[in-house]
Amino acid sequence: MKLAKTLLATALVGLTALPALAEDKLKIGFVYPSPIADVGWSAELNAGRLAIEEAFGDKVETIFVENVPEGPDAARIMNQMAAQGAEMIMLGSFGYMNDGIKLAQQRPEMTFLHASGFKLAPNFSNFQSRNYESSYLVGMAAADVTESNVVGIVAAYAIPEVIGMINGFALGLQEVNPDVTIKVVWLNSWFDPPKAQDSARALMAQQADVIYSLYQDTPSVVTVAEEEGVFVINTSSDMKAYAPEWLLASQIADWSSFFVRSVQATLDGTFEGEAFWGGMSDGTVDVKSWSDKISEATMAKIMEASDAMKAGTFHPLTGPVVDQDGTERLAAGVTIADQDLLGIDWLVKGVETRLPN
Amino acid sequence: MDVLIFMVSGTLAAATALIFAAMGELVAEKSGMLNLGIEGMMATGAAMGFVAATVSGSYTVGFLAAAVLGALLSAVFAVLTLVFRANQTASGLAIGILGLGLSSAIGKKFESMTLPGVPDLPLGPLAQIPVIGPMFFQLDVMVYLSIVLVFATWYMLNRTRLGLTIRAVGESPENAHALGLPVLWIRAGCVAFGGAMAGIGGAYMSTAYTPLWAEGMIAGRGWIVVALTVFGTWMVPRVAFGAYLFGSISLLELSIQALGVNVPSQLMSALPYLVTIFMLALISRNTLFIRLNSPASLGATFRL
Repeated sequence: MKLAKTLLATALVGLTALPALAEDKLKIGFVYPSPIADVGWSAELNAGRLAIEEAFGDKVETIFVENVPEGPDAARIMNQMAAQGAEMIMLGSFGYMNDGIKLAQQRPEMTFLHASGFKLAPNFSNFQSRNYESSYLVGMAAADVTESNVVGIVAAYAIPEVIGMINGFALGLQEVNPDVTIKVVWLNSWFDPPKAQDSARALMAQQADVIYSLYQDTPSVVTVAEEEGVFVINTSSDMKAYAPEWLLASQIADWSSFFVRSVQATLDGTFEGEAFWGGMSDGTVDVKSWSDKISEATMAKIMEASDAMKAGTFHPLTGPVVDQDGTERLAAGVTIADQDLLGIDWLVKGVETRLPN
Repeated sequence: MDVLIFMVSGTLAAATALIFAAMGELVAEKSGMLNLGIEGMMATGAAMGFVAATVSGSYTVGFLAAAVLGALLSAVFAVLTLVFRANQTASGLAIGILGLGLSSAIGKKFESMTLPGVPDLPLGPLAQIPVIGPMFFQLDVMVYLSIVLVFATWYMLNRTRLGLTIRAVGESPENAHALGLPVLWIRAGCVAFGGAMAGIGGAYMSTAYTPLWAEGMIAGRGWIVVALTVFGTWMVPRVAFGAYLFGSISLLELSIQALGVNVPSQLMSALPYLVTIFMLALISRNTLFIRLNSPASLGATFRL
């Protein structure tokens, strides 16, 4: 696979090596960790690329390489992009961080956008989404439709972002129905569709009638839920087409406004590295394809919470919040600090499964 | 009870892809050919099977196409190792990498698409038996075929002239050659059979077990197959046992997690590998027995 990829990447980068005819065009390179499909993480990033093309038209030229493994391949591809005259690079995976920051230091005239990392430089921004906000909303919906009072989560790894989302989900759920049990299956793998599907089935066998597919890039969990007639919630992309009957809602991330803003800043020469953490208030995070099986009363509550988050008047992780051991983590009225949320390592009460450590 | 049904029927399905690929690899290794490209052949089979089934609308066509492409890919391996006498280990690894790249190219336009999945085939009145029915008799046709394949492979290797010939070639290609057996053709045939079975195993993953195509979905299962043949000391029943054991433990891991039992999930994720290796090492601890069973010329280049 590496060989084929290398050839492909060389060919792609080779093509872009043709002398640039329009020197005034801003060339922007995109490095994606997985193939661009109709749905999934890379598809969402690519939607941001298309938004840039639409917004700037002739003023920009975008190139991309997909399915780039983290490590030497990624370093080589971003260096080649720079050598071919790219002035801006979007790095679509956490593991591109160190190679990216190295290149950013060598080439201060270029600008970089890096997904989900934590390093910063004057010409190096990172971006993340406050998905725990939309998790809270879909949690409320899950509580509304569950009859067994058991909800299952299929999650990849216990990283702070995922833990934050599970907590947001659980708190939203408890807001509507405090008696629901939440079970989690940790895959300990970023990519294993068959295992994700087995996990969903294992949860269903233990009475879960709503499955939360947390960062599964393929429709594996969604299709098995549709097949078995169990509600399912999806993250990253709208997967309504894969489960027209049983999709409860899709949490989506839309990077276009941040991308367009950053490209504008690069064009203007005003780019400053920032840690962008977009949420519902700026349209980065939202929920799509609400199921019509959610009761009207709950839907009204969901919309109320959604409006409050969009207005910035409500934070899902606001006390009183008690963790699994019964320790009070947030006192009544206290909202979690961003810094604490970035390193969160505890689950709220009501989640039955412990964190793996 | 739901959990039990999930465990038993799930194990049979989870092991099916492994059984197909492992029986193929076992036959190839019995003839002295160590094919380390199984992972790539399964991936290619998965992509080809998915694409062919989607385009033609027939799962039969999907499995056939996957088998043919798997056999073709292993024919490349056969040409490299038998005609040009390249090193088997290196050639196998190279073909495996080629297969992964090929799967990506074949499936490119189909990434993240889904299929309804091979339908279940309830076996008449047997399927109606409570509990037992859903456990054993409401599965898809490939699960039943994989069980037939286990018996057929055992019978072929141990009770037929063809099996004796294959084993003779694997034990001592020089002697087999001296007896007038077409060593190269037999090895090529065994390797092609192995590739075809790996293709079918891969297609089972993408059209029946998880009916969707996503690059990388084989996720190391081809390597499990290679490990199973070795730890199962090249004996059909042990290899099959290893496949079912691996399938059941990997589902048990998820069930235990879903139950909410407080165990570290990293340990649980390693459990299928640990238990399978431990169990197979335990039943295969007789080193004399291993030496008797392992094809003596395995991995060695045959020169006339």
